[in-house]
Amino acid sequence: MMIAFILLGALAICGGVVTIAARNAVHAALGLVGTLLCVGGLFASMSASFLAATQVIVYAGAIMVLFLFVIMLLNANSPITSKDPIPYVRELAGIGGTVLAGAFVVLAFTYKDPQPLAAGVKGVGDGTALVMGETLLTRFLLPFEAVSILLLVAIVGAVALVQRPAAQPDGVSDTDEVLLPSAPATVLRLPEREVRA
Amino acid sequence: MVPTASYIALSGILFALGMIGVLTRRTAIMIFLSVELMLNAANIALVAFARAWGDPTGQTAVFIVMTLAAAEVAIGLAIIVAIFRKRETTNVDDLAGMKG
Repeated sequence: MMIAFILLGALAICGGVVTIAARNAVHAALGLVGTLLCVGGLFASMSASFLAATQVIVYAGAIMVLFLFVIMLLNANSPITSKDPIPYVRELAGIGGTVLAGAFVVLAFTYKDPQPLAAGVKGVGDGTALVMGETLLTRFLLPFEAVSILLLVAIVGAVALVQRPAAQPDGVSDTDEVLLPSAPATVLRLPEREVRA
Repeated sequence: MVPTASYIALSGILFALGMIGVLTRRTAIMIFLSVELMLNAANIALVAFARAWGDPTGQTAVFIVMTLAAAEVAIGLAIIVAIFRKRETTNVDDLAGMKG
């Protein structure tokens, strides 16, 4: 168990370092995918089986695909080479992050488990969908419904935000070239119906 | 079994990494990725404490955080795409003005 934790933890930290240090945005996103998968494994090791599955499906699956899609759509995978306007920001952030991480680690090891861990694992009942659903639909009913409304609003908002302005009378939308500056036309030519949708 | 303290320490390290990313990266998408890293660090801590106390409430909170993250990503990326169409950049240094 300890070996699994050390392996998954080390991989998660490596993925995190790739995420914040990679010059190419696609590499950074793939580093984050690695971290998310490792976090899913850590959830499984903490007897949160439903969350582990959700982590892989929703986070590493859906959310990261959305990220990669937008990175490739915007051609944003080239790094910014100009000088940072804030002086010494990298050094200061590095020092601050190290201090924060050190403080967290020191604080964490002052934490004493309130009860034997075996009792805790029994209490969360292996974190199955049954246990989660019971909590979600009793004590967490209001947040659950609020979150479902939030998701609906987010869907409508996302569609409204990325909607193209209405096409001009000659049928050419003036944003087409701006959106895809250097992508080959053959790859991105959609059927007419889908473009207007 | 791995003690809760180890998980909390790992969560703190990942959170600090995410914070460094938010402070140093300069494209909006990279800052967004770092924020996701911080959210996941917090999720590890929540699940670890849920196990320590034997209470599934913490795990349920993580489930809700995941849903919120999905909504946040959908809206945030839509905003980034909209900004990119208008300005042809996602460098946050160039997006400092509130006008237009």
